[in-house]
Amino acid sequence: MAIDGLIILDPTGRPIIQSSYTTYPAAYPLLHIEALNNALAKAPREGSVDPVIYVEELSCSSACCHVEVGGMRFLATISGDVDPLIAFAFLDAFTEILQDYFGVVSVATLKDNFDIVYQLLEETLDSSGHPLTTSPNLLSDIVLSPSLISKLLASVSPATPGVPSVRQGGSFGSNGASGAFTSPIPWRKAGVRHNHNEILFDVVEEMRGIVGKNGTTLVSNVFGKIESNSKLSGTPDLTLTFTNPNVMTDCAFHPCVRLQKWTRDNALSFVPPEGRFILADYQYRPPQSAVVSNVPIPLSLKANMDMGEFGGTFALTLTSRLIKVMENLELKFYLGEDATSAQCTLSSAGSSVGSVGSADGSWSFNSRTKTLQWEILNMRSSGSWILRGSWTSKIKAPRPAHAFQIRFEIPSYSFSSLKVDQLRLSSETYKMYKGVRMRSKGSIEWRW
Amino acid sequence: MSTQQGQDAKFFQRGKIEEFRAELQAAEAKDKKFQKRKTVLKKIVANITMGNDMSPLFHDVIQCIGTPLLEIKKMVYLFLVSYGRSKPDQIHLVIPSFLQDCNDRNPLIRALAIRTMSYIPIPVVTEALTDQLRHCLKDRDPYVRKTAAICVAKVYTADPRKAERKGFVELLRDMLIDENATVVSNAVAALSEIGDRQDGVIFKLNLTIANKLLSALGESSEWGQIYILDSLLRYVPEQHADAEMMAERVIVQLQHANSAVVLTTIKVLLYLMNYMGDRRLIDYICRKMGPPLVTLLSSGPEVQYVALRNILLIIQRRPTVLKNDVKAFFCKYNDPIYVKLAKLEIMYRLAREENAREVLAELEEYASEVDVDFVRKAVRSIGRLAIKVEPAADKCIESLLKLIETKVTYVVQEAVIVTKDIFRRYPGKYEGIIPKICENLDALDEPEAKAAMVWILGQFADKIDNVEELLDDLVYSFLDEPAEVQLAHLTAVVKLFIYKSQSEVTKALVHKVLKWATEDIDNPDLRDRGFMYWRMLAMNPAVAAEIVLAEKPAITTDSDRMDRGALDQLLLHTGTLGSIYHKNPETFIRNAAGRALIDSPALNANSRAVLVSLARPQLPPIAISVSGPGPVEPTRPPQPSEAANNVPLPTIMESSRSDERDLLDVEGDDGAGGDSGEGYLEGDDDGPVTKAADPYASLGGAFGGYVTDVPQPVAGGSRGGDLDDLLL
Repeated sequence: MAIDGLIILDPTGRPIIQSSYTTYPAAYPLLHIEALNNALAKAPREGSVDPVIYVEELSCSSACCHVEVGGMRFLATISGDVDPLIAFAFLDAFTEILQDYFGVVSVATLKDNFDIVYQLLEETLDSSGHPLTTSPNLLSDIVLSPSLISKLLASVSPATPGVPSVRQGGSFGSNGASGAFTSPIPWRKAGVRHNHNEILFDVVEEMRGIVGKNGTTLVSNVFGKIESNSKLSGTPDLTLTFTNPNVMTDCAFHPCVRLQKWTRDNALSFVPPEGRFILADYQYRPPQSAVVSNVPIPLSLKANMDMGEFGGTFALTLTSRLIKVMENLELKFYLGEDATSAQCTLSSAGSSVGSVGSADGSWSFNSRTKTLQWEILNMRSSGSWILRGSWTSKIKAPRPAHAFQIRFEIPSYSFSSLKVDQLRLSSETYKMYKGVRMRSKGSIEWRW
Repeated sequence: MSTQQGQDAKFFQRGKIEEFRAELQAAEAKDKKFQKRKTVLKKIVANITMGNDMSPLFHDVIQCIGTPLLEIKKMVYLFLVSYGRSKPDQIHLVIPSFLQDCNDRNPLIRALAIRTMSYIPIPVVTEALTDQLRHCLKDRDPYVRKTAAICVAKVYTADPRKAERKGFVELLRDMLIDENATVVSNAVAALSEIGDRQDGVIFKLNLTIANKLLSALGESSEWGQIYILDSLLRYVPEQHADAEMMAERVIVQLQHANSAVVLTTIKVLLYLMNYMGDRRLIDYICRKMGPPLVTLLSSGPEVQYVALRNILLIIQRRPTVLKNDVKAFFCKYNDPIYVKLAKLEIMYRLAREENAREVLAELEEYASEVDVDFVRKAVRSIGRLAIKVEPAADKCIESLLKLIETKVTYVVQEAVIVTKDIFRRYPGKYEGIIPKICENLDALDEPEAKAAMVWILGQFADKIDNVEELLDDLVYSFLDEPAEVQLAHLTAVVKLFIYKSQSEVTKALVHKVLKWATEDIDNPDLRDRGFMYWRMLAMNPAVAAEIVLAEKPAITTDSDRMDRGALDQLLLHTGTLGSIYHKNPETFIRNAAGRALIDSPALNANSRAVLVSLARPQLPPIAISVSGPGPVEPTRPPQPSEAANNVPLPTIMESSRSDERDLLDVEGDDGAGGDSGEGYLEGDDDGPVTKAADPYASLGGAFGGYVTDVPQPVAGGSRGGDLDDLLL
């Protein structure tokens, strides 16, 4: 069970950084790079390459798992009987670490900080392929982030109270550098101090649904996430309770959550890691309907489509079914490979608010992706927005997508109405600032 | 240093060896805070990452190893990791520094030193490491201990027998009860790596140690949890209660955020279920496994893909998992094609009478999409659905006819191919649609579709009025057709002749085709069949009719499910490459250790009945050629009997057995612990297992992912009772 190594390719398919494939022939990483580049070149369109590519060579056979990150390709090679999910989970974790260290993950940031990336690789992935420490909390003690290095150098004495939790790990002889590993909690470093203690929770719920031709909801699921940002001193032992914990089903938790306690009391008991982390993932199922578990979709679309020769016309009417304002609504319609142009007019009707006008929406046709896009920045309740138009195509019987892709955001709203009851802190005496925010978004496929 | 932030990119310019050497030498003289050295080393490391050979600088770089600055030390070590192995004649120069660092006050440096040494498989280094490693395994700092644990696996790789003699395996075993969870999980990882080697000691767990590991689970990192969970597959429960207790402790891990942990947990649960007796508990676990699997589908497309391929395996073995969740697998227009194809396959598997209508509606939707591969697959699935779910067959046929009317060539061709199978599945029921199909003869240009059409024409020659005319038209290009179409033609005209032996047109047609087949064709199959038909028709047309129009075995879709025993074995590899390609890893991955269920008093009868024994396979001496996207198994699957004859030398077997007794396993029975296939079956009351001979015989055609999913005739006895026994 092991990952052979990790390679980062730039957008043109050339390696930027790769881990040291010490126990492999020099050609080994090259073979994988070539296999991936070939597969990408052969792909009829973006995103159609299998994420696990089987690589065969004379001496051994292996596979390469790849994901796209910021225009680059992160590639993990695996051989033997390895779980590709481990490779993907590792790539995810590594990307997150890079984000933590550099803010933005791009060709430029990686090249600028290649020595740090290299050290991170060494610390996170053992040469025989065992992922080691990927918790950003512990890594920050072993490999200093660029911002910390400059902070350290800027301050006259490294022991300034401003960054007290940073030990002088970069210099020789400091004995406590691995203090992280003596910490009894593998995800949290020991001895964190903050002048201002706070913990923030962002509850983000995302609806994913498919609506059939006849307007009935085929599938709609709501996946929730509790994102947290913790800046708490010492070893804070927290208990988070909800007034309606039963809206959360099929939960998955950060390793810090005591699973037994959740099973018993429906309370989240945990010692958080420092900084950002995802406390829990869950799915929301409306309680009243055990059979039809669909969550109602907060908008409706009426599509009048008329297919003709060398093009077609359409009239789309969007209506909100929500009291809250929906934001950044975006509807995408793929017009088919041979589409050449589109013409549309926007209007809105029936709204009680007088200011509804064309300023609220915009449309565009991307001739590269052959996609028509309609955007409405603010969609208030009880109004309809209408897009009428036509498109042209090079072929006689055009084949547009039979589905619209709709995305939207709803600030300060949750589908599940999950409500935090209280957050208790034990084992520490200080006062802390707590905050909870709700946010929802959706991505719906609407067929016609 | 701070001034250089953001400018490191310039180091990526190709550096010159001589330049670096000069710079390093200059730095020796006057180097405030070692900044100069650091800059040069950074440039060198940058060049290494670009793949430029920096090894000529070996001598110069190792001079810096004593520099009292961790950053510099790290870069020198990085250099050694890259080039140490290629300098066996100079490496002894570094040994004193290595030894010094192994005893440094800073645990990071101690760990760095042994880690780097373990990367350099040169005897002097390994020798020096062996002594240091023993201390480090007992270091007071857990960071050093956990690093040392992994190093043992590398020392073992260098020389297994020597590492055993030096007692490293026992030292690792002792670490399984370390107080630090990370150390425990790394020890497990190292032991697993050793245990997976073909020449390694066998790593087995007994109940006590398995329980100890489980208690370390809560405090481990996600990677540690994966190692520990995976190692539970090395524990063979002796009683139902043991398996059940363990499953109850493991099941909470299904709530882990890391997808790899979730899938590994499912693998362990599936394994333990083979040893359980309580049917209700099995049902309960199956229900619990569904939601986390669905949750995996909310991840990125890569994770979805791996999850879907695994789900496909799991639901074949445990159909109750996800029984009611077919909607979760509905395809979205924007899903990548590999996700869509995998979902489609699962939708078909989950289709039952209750949800057939929904599934069909979806399939119709997909058949109107743009992507050709996906559309074809969708059309084919409609046909398979008709064959699988009888009450839905009428609707499926309707929908196929509608698709044929679209006149889109590839849609029509797929529809014709599946219709042929539907005719065979429901004889006498749908022949009324033949005229409709015949209207589209011109659209067929692919061999498979053409052959299917010709088969239909021949088989139902008595029901099609203008069949002679149609066949005559098609036969026109006979000599240019591929063999599969020619064979179909040959048989079809013979059938036609049997139905309409009086017609002059038919006689001429048969004569023409038989003459072509026997005189103008080089393909021996075709020629032989031509001669055979000709003689049959000449000698006794009545017998010919009986043979050619003999009743065909009914076809079902049952047989495209995998063989139960092979499935059990594959599920032990849940979440691994094997489960992606649906092949056992040892058949296509070199050095992969096979896994098999091991018999024990707790193994339930149904699992035992299909037990596949495992012999450590002999790898073919030459490379295996691969065609297509996935790996191909060697043409000769490992035969237990044959492999047993030339598996490990007796001495190695002896040594691994005695090691095993010394180590983790407490059972004294030699027969049950051996690593040859026969060993596991000894003492089995059920008698010899017939399927053991070739567990994969049915695997290629029976499943094979997206390629061969054609329904096949029922082989041998009925599988009616199968669904029921799948529950246990």
